[in-house]
Amino acid sequence: MRRSVAYPLVALGAIGSTLAVASPALAHGYVSAPPSRQALCASGAVKDCGQIQFEPQSVEGVKGLKSCDGGVSQFSILADESRNWPAKSVGTNVTFTWVMTARHRTADWQYFIDGKKVATVNGNNQQPDAVVTHNIDLSAFPGKQTVLAVWNIGDTANAFYSCIDLNVGGGSAPAPTPSAAAPTSAAPTSAAPTSAAPTSAAPAPATSSAAPVSSSSSWAPGVSYKTGDKVKYEGKTYECRQSHTSLSSWEPSIYTLALWLPL
Amino acid sequence: MKRLALATVLLLTACGTAPTTPPATTVSAAVKASGTHNDTDTMYLQMMIAHHEQGLEMVRLAEDKATRPDLKTLAAAVDATQSDEDTLMKTWLTDWQEPTTVDHAPTTHADHGGLPATGPEEIAALKKAKGKDFETAFLNLFVAHQHNAVEMATLETTDGTNEEAKSLATRIRQSRTDQIQQMLTMLNS
Repeated sequence: MRRSVAYPLVALGAIGSTLAVASPALAHGYVSAPPSRQALCASGAVKDCGQIQFEPQSVEGVKGLKSCDGGVSQFSILADESRNWPAKSVGTNVTFTWVMTARHRTADWQYFIDGKKVATVNGNNQQPDAVVTHNIDLSAFPGKQTVLAVWNIGDTANAFYSCIDLNVGGGSAPAPTPSAAAPTSAAPTSAAPTSAAPTSAAPAPATSSAAPVSSSSSWAPGVSYKTGDKVKYEGKTYECRQSHTSLSSWEPSIYTLALWLPL
Repeated sequence: MKRLALATVLLLTACGTAPTTPPATTVSAAVKASGTHNDTDTMYLQMMIAHHEQGLEMVRLAEDKATRPDLKTLAAAVDATQSDEDTLMKTWLTDWQEPTTVDHAPTTHADHGGLPATGPEEIAALKKAKGKDFETAFLNLFVAHQHNAVEMATLETTDGTNEEAKSLATRIRQSRTDQIQQMLTMLNS
């Protein structure tokens, strides 16, 4: 069941030495693919998520919960079904990928649909790899499903929660759910109202949100700039010296001379 | 504004004596952290240097091994900006007469019961991965790596005192959050 292709376990000796001093966990982790609700918030595919968009790895609650928000009130949007979360079309055998930002010894991973346990993957109370993948057979659950994935920490009373909305058997390629409305093509940078956009089966690729650059336009985030492009920013003109898609805090300044040179 | 004014003064002074001095083309030449600093500032910069150098190793693998253009472009831009920041942080620590390395930087999180995302084993595994598997492995691992950078930045903005170091941490938190956004989008597109 467990597939650890790329990442070996760390040396067991190092794990043993931390056991005696285990203190309150700063463990963090979430399902990155297929995208969990917090991953959709962090990628901007779903807007107006609040704080969770900055820390998708922090949905931590006591073990045994069945809620998408882990009982954390500031992340309650994750359990808000009225957001009509976009469902990713997948096959019947689904590979779930966990990103761990702090790799705590693990009791197990559990997967639930409608409160029913679908799969358990034993963690053997060992330190997980930085990226963990599980192949889970969901052939008994065709159609639109919300999977609750739980990472039970081995040395604390807590667990990490991720909900993943899927269209099981809908194919492995990104496609709209058959029964849903036509997918929207709203790019992440457009201001989507809370009720729009979720019918798209997958977030728009980053490149599709990158608008072409007209000569010497004003700098903006989310734009694909090429070496030699010129922008205006705060009254000055800059030339791009390294192609990139712009980010907040990558605007032209003395801090980003690696990207922009003043002319 | 103060920093900009200072940089301008320095440039003007330089122009007075050596008219051919070109304007700064690196952040380390343009920004000095001359105010007071505390242990958190020092530790943050030391930890970030170690973290940056792991990150540079990873993005250089991506520049070499990835095939999708959006990923290669992101990797090259991260290489350029983080290389500059790496030099900047080393320059500040040297100016402060502090060491630029720290013994346990990559395992600081281990004191709290868990290692951070990236260790030598993860980078070694990344080196072995190929093709589409490499891209998926890189994206997930670098997402986790940059989450760690965001977490460390919060430590500095909370407990640091040096204005330039805190400003750098704020910029790192913003840019890494947006990089994560781009990478999660690539991962699921």
